[in-house]
Amino acid sequence: MKEISELLFPDDVFYAEDHEWARLDGGVITVGINDYAQDQLGDIVYVELPRVGDTFEKGEEFGTVESVKAVSELYMPVGGEIVAVNTDLEDSPELINQSPYGDGWLIKVKPDDETEIEELMDKETYLAMLKEED
Amino acid sequence: MSKQTPLYDLHLSLKAQIAEFGGYEMPLWYPSGARREHLAVLTGAGLFDTSHMAVIHVSGPRVFDLLQHCLTKDLDRCIGKSRLPLSPGRAAYGAFLTPEGHTIDDTVISMLDEENFMLVVNAGMGATITNHLSSETEGLSPAPAIENLSDRMGKLDLQGPKSAIILASTLEKPEILCEPFPFFSFKGHFDESSPLYGDVRLSDGSHILLSRTGYTGEFGFELYMKPVRLESVWRLLMKEGERHGCIPCGLAARDSLRTGAVLPLSHQDIGDWPFINHPWEQALPFAGDEGGFTKTFIGDEALLRNRGKGFFTYPFAGFDLRKVQVGPDTAAVNSGGRRIGTVLTCVTDVAIDREGTRIISINSPDRPEGFRPKGLCCGFVRLTEPAKRGAIIEIKDGRRSLPVMIMDDLRPDRTARRPISSMLPADLRRSADPNK
Repeated sequence: MKEISELLFPDDVFYAEDHEWARLDGGVITVGINDYAQDQLGDIVYVELPRVGDTFEKGEEFGTVESVKAVSELYMPVGGEIVAVNTDLEDSPELINQSPYGDGWLIKVKPDDETEIEELMDKETYLAMLKEED
Repeated sequence: MSKQTPLYDLHLSLKAQIAEFGGYEMPLWYPSGARREHLAVLTGAGLFDTSHMAVIHVSGPRVFDLLQHCLTKDLDRCIGKSRLPLSPGRAAYGAFLTPEGHTIDDTVISMLDEENFMLVVNAGMGATITNHLSSETEGLSPAPAIENLSDRMGKLDLQGPKSAIILASTLEKPEILCEPFPFFSFKGHFDESSPLYGDVRLSDGSHILLSRTGYTGEFGFELYMKPVRLESVWRLLMKEGERHGCIPCGLAARDSLRTGAVLPLSHQDIGDWPFINHPWEQALPFAGDEGGFTKTFIGDEALLRNRGKGFFTYPFAGFDLRKVQVGPDTAAVNSGGRRIGTVLTCVTDVAIDREGTRIISINSPDRPEGFRPKGLCCGFVRLTEPAKRGAIIEIKDGRRSLPVMIMDDLRPDRTARRPISSMLPADLRRSADPNK
């Protein structure tokens, strides 16, 4: 297990309570799970993602990640329409372990309300929450 | 407050993910991950800290009678196809039952000599089984001595086809591997008072009891030693093992390996229901077709009453790697949607996959070229009605419902029973007896 200080938490993403991250770029929000979540889950072996065109409310379950340990739900950090899913994860779910903020992204969302992302936590607030849980 | 094994700090320094199991804080996996750990035990070797397991030493002139009364296995008829009596240096698998036939725990019993036996039971069960055995000594004179050694014993499991090669380079006398060393036998001891002490010593000076047993279904050994020797032996085995693909392995890989090998986890796959109608009936002393037992033991009558009735436990395999989360509401359902039982264990064995109608493993000799399994969901279901091999049922948790097939075996082409002579380094192989 890595110490929290050894995990990566980039400054350019927002963090959700359920350990997803969200990054706004050109009106589209990319979503993944963060380094803490992938470290806790262990080897990710299977990912269930929605279809492009599906719409979800903020907080709604949009898929699952399955590790050797457990099957975990994924929750929408913002509400909106799915405009892309990471199809590389079908054959290489381990990308989530290897590159949680890069090649291991999960979905891209066209948000109903772009400003909803600001209701998520910044790095410092999220880290404080993790340390409290610890 | 959870206990720790003497290697806890070492596991932390290796960056293991830690989880509570059986009252101990144990490594779940190391940074290589459970998938690679599982595969290493099929292709190279894996080293497991299993010092959470409990050990009991039982001794005295009447100890055989005590064990025959308490254990499901008939120790007078248990070695090989000809069912020879257990003899010094040999081990057997059995269970301790209540009078109702329910499982208290399962055990591997090692016969040191006519009056001394070592029992390995599950984590946290040392006191329970010690008390259980003590309560059954009435009428035995002299009463057998029963000693819970759990905190005075350390244990490492070296499992995988390269285990013998790694051991050979760490043993003071590697030639002991060339002598007969069948599956479920052992050599040496870690206690100075044992006549076997001195028979097996590692190059770091550690005296061990070396047993050709394990909980992975793969070729390998369990090493028993004094707790103070654990760290030195771990470092020695890792130093020699690294170049043979040996990596530290945690409980997640141990769980998926044992499930694929159709080995039960006590208090999960066997437990508070009759120890019968399951894949582990080789631990029961059936007399033959007539249905009786070859001996009397605690729980025997209840088992015979429940034969072919009540609960039926079967291995199952899915059609891809997805699993269900095992919990109180996880159900096994028949094709008509009716609940017919519960799911006891559900894991992914990452070394196997389906190829047409067959399951094959990365160790199957006839695997297709470039075979790269994604893994298969597998485990055990406990049904309230019998099911035939090949039957398709569904297992479901709150989220998903998966079709699975009732099987009689899971991961094919396991290596546990391979002759040791075929697993030795070339220089030792020449002097080994090819039939043992």
